[in-house]
Amino acid sequence: MDIRRYAILGTVALGTSLAAFAASAEDVTINVWSLDRDIQPAPNLIKDFNKLNTGIKVEYRQIQFDDVVSEAMRAYSTGQAPDIIAVDNPEHALFSSRGAFLDLTDMIAKSSVVKAENYFPGPLASVTWEGKYYGIPKATNTIALYYNKDMFKAKGLDPNKPPQTWDELVETARKLTDPAANVYGLTFSAKANEEGTFQFLPWAQMAGGSYDAINSDGAIRALDVWKKIIDEKLASPDTLTRSQWDSTGTFNSGNAAMAISGPWELDRMLKEAKFDWGVALLPVPEPGAERSSAMGDFNWAIFANTEHPAEAFKVLEYFVSQDDRMFKDFGQLPARSDISIPETGEPLKDAALKVFVEQLKYAKPRGPHPAWPKISKAIQDAIQAALTGQMSSKEALDQAAEKIKAVLG
Amino acid sequence: MKRILSSVTDGKGFDIGLVVLPLGFLFVMSGLPLVYNVVMSFQEVDMFSLGSFVRPFVGFRNYVDLFSQPETRPILFNTALFVVASIAGQFAIGFGLALFFWTNFPGASWLRGLFLVSWVMPGLVVGAIWNWILSGDFGVLNFLLRETGVIDGNIFWRSDPNYSLWAVIIANIWLGTSFNMILLSVGLSGIPKDLYEAAELDGANALQRFWTITLPMMRSTIGAIIALGLIFTLQQFDLFAGITSGGPNNSSNVTQYWAWDLSFRQYDFAKGATISVIMIVFVMLASVVYVRSTRHEVRG
Repeated sequence: MDIRRYAILGTVALGTSLAAFAASAEDVTINVWSLDRDIQPAPNLIKDFNKLNTGIKVEYRQIQFDDVVSEAMRAYSTGQAPDIIAVDNPEHALFSSRGAFLDLTDMIAKSSVVKAENYFPGPLASVTWEGKYYGIPKATNTIALYYNKDMFKAKGLDPNKPPQTWDELVETARKLTDPAANVYGLTFSAKANEEGTFQFLPWAQMAGGSYDAINSDGAIRALDVWKKIIDEKLASPDTLTRSQWDSTGTFNSGNAAMAISGPWELDRMLKEAKFDWGVALLPVPEPGAERSSAMGDFNWAIFANTEHPAEAFKVLEYFVSQDDRMFKDFGQLPARSDISIPETGEPLKDAALKVFVEQLKYAKPRGPHPAWPKISKAIQDAIQAALTGQMSSKEALDQAAEKIKAVLG
Repeated sequence: MKRILSSVTDGKGFDIGLVVLPLGFLFVMSGLPLVYNVVMSFQEVDMFSLGSFVRPFVGFRNYVDLFSQPETRPILFNTALFVVASIAGQFAIGFGLALFFWTNFPGASWLRGLFLVSWVMPGLVVGAIWNWILSGDFGVLNFLLRETGVIDGNIFWRSDPNYSLWAVIIANIWLGTSFNMILLSVGLSGIPKDLYEAAELDGANALQRFWTITLPMMRSTIGAIIALGLIFTLQQFDLFAGITSGGPNNSSNVTQYWAWDLSFRQYDFAKGATISVIMIVFVMLASVVYVRSTRHEVRG
């Protein structure tokens, strides 16, 4: 090796160390990915955080709903993952079970901002894997029963007494169904995607079933009630292919007297529904039975291979400290029981939100299980096989249990 | 050096270059992913091994697992039905329209152009619109059928397992007809007019002219269209996403939608790849038909 080569090597080495020095003097950069658009929490909170000049600079990238998991996986497996990501709660376990997310248990224990006891049990369970916390719930939502008070009155029903049990629900739906006026008693979604599972699982859980006991007697009874509703045309047969959003659209237009859906419908309903409506807790199998509901929305998590775990956690702490703005500024429900939802001045909306917050106490996560999408697919197929009459509820759920058993191993 | 250079600018080297460039492009953009896909179908793949090439080989286990699933056979059957019915419908209506516009009434070429609008529309938009048309309670199709007295009650096109696949087929026929019509129109205009004049002088009627002149002269065009139709139909994904999501209970699920669902919804990439390999075999068959039927066109 001649002298010139040494000289070049030396310069290169010096250059790299200088660059490294320069970088350490600069801010730490934390990358955050989520699906929030410009009017939603993440980009706005990040803007506010960057204004604080904490020595941590946060960069944001918006990803599309359908790409969250595949983008995250690709990035993680090629070592280009962001520091922080927001994932849909049923997919959280997929990452935490494989050690892709950072175990935050100790950080949360030491934190004065993030306190586990502040969260609703459902969202908290979705970030938990084997007793450890692998994330922080970002926001939450659930489903309840919307009902058209004007139609209740027109059919001689008490608009302040929405159905409490499954039997009452079916009975009320029968009374409200009016084919001549193009009105179905109820609308919900049994679509062949996650939405179908989202809507059905609470029913199974209320009757003592669960995803790992999907063919229990209670779950079969739940599916039988659904089947009765579809067979008697108390809900449109298109329930099998309609999303929750489209289904509730028929409620807003007065073509369904009751709807099962979530708080994301409120703003559109206020605008479109030209009648008096209310929200009730999901009916239970019999009076006094255990309540349950679905749980939706995203969780924050830190990728395990981040270079700045402490700084990333600080960013999350900031997000959590702003949870009281979640509803006021962005219309999302914080996953916390210690934050009360401020009045909006819209009486219908305020009354509805009270019910949703009450319902959130009973919301249960889907899973958590790393192979959730496969479990969910088995449940969707079973629901649809039974509702279309291709199988009995028991046969369909037995087959689903078989498939789920293979997944659970 | 100089000899090589001159051969590149003028001679054999130039010819080789012309062949090597597209071949290289094809190999990198199509060949490698294809091989990768086939390799993947023999491996155990999960999302965390997605970024690496070294993965445990499992032999034919993915194939065995796939065919032991209860939904596999119905889905393969659905795919076959979807392909055959779509192509038959697109071709029959497309040919009919092509013959109709061939009569060259005033404004024929204008109208023919307008028909192409359906082909230009993005699949997801077409899916969303047919989703409304086929809606059970408020759908336009049900309204028309009811008003004309064809049906008494509403047909739930999307949600009744007896109709769901046909719902997508109807939409797909609408989408593909204009493409068939245009290609067939081109084929028709290539038939020399004097053949018909001679046949007419010999006293052949319209039907005889169609069977003995039009059809035989169109043989290569028809072969090409059916092969392309097979490929386009096996590619059709948006309509399934837009109309039925493969439901209810897989009654309208087909291999291409299922492969996507397995890979990107259930994250079972190996099974998704396995289905794709099975599809590749069928597309290869179609390609052979296509290449054979267009061969003498290339020779000119």
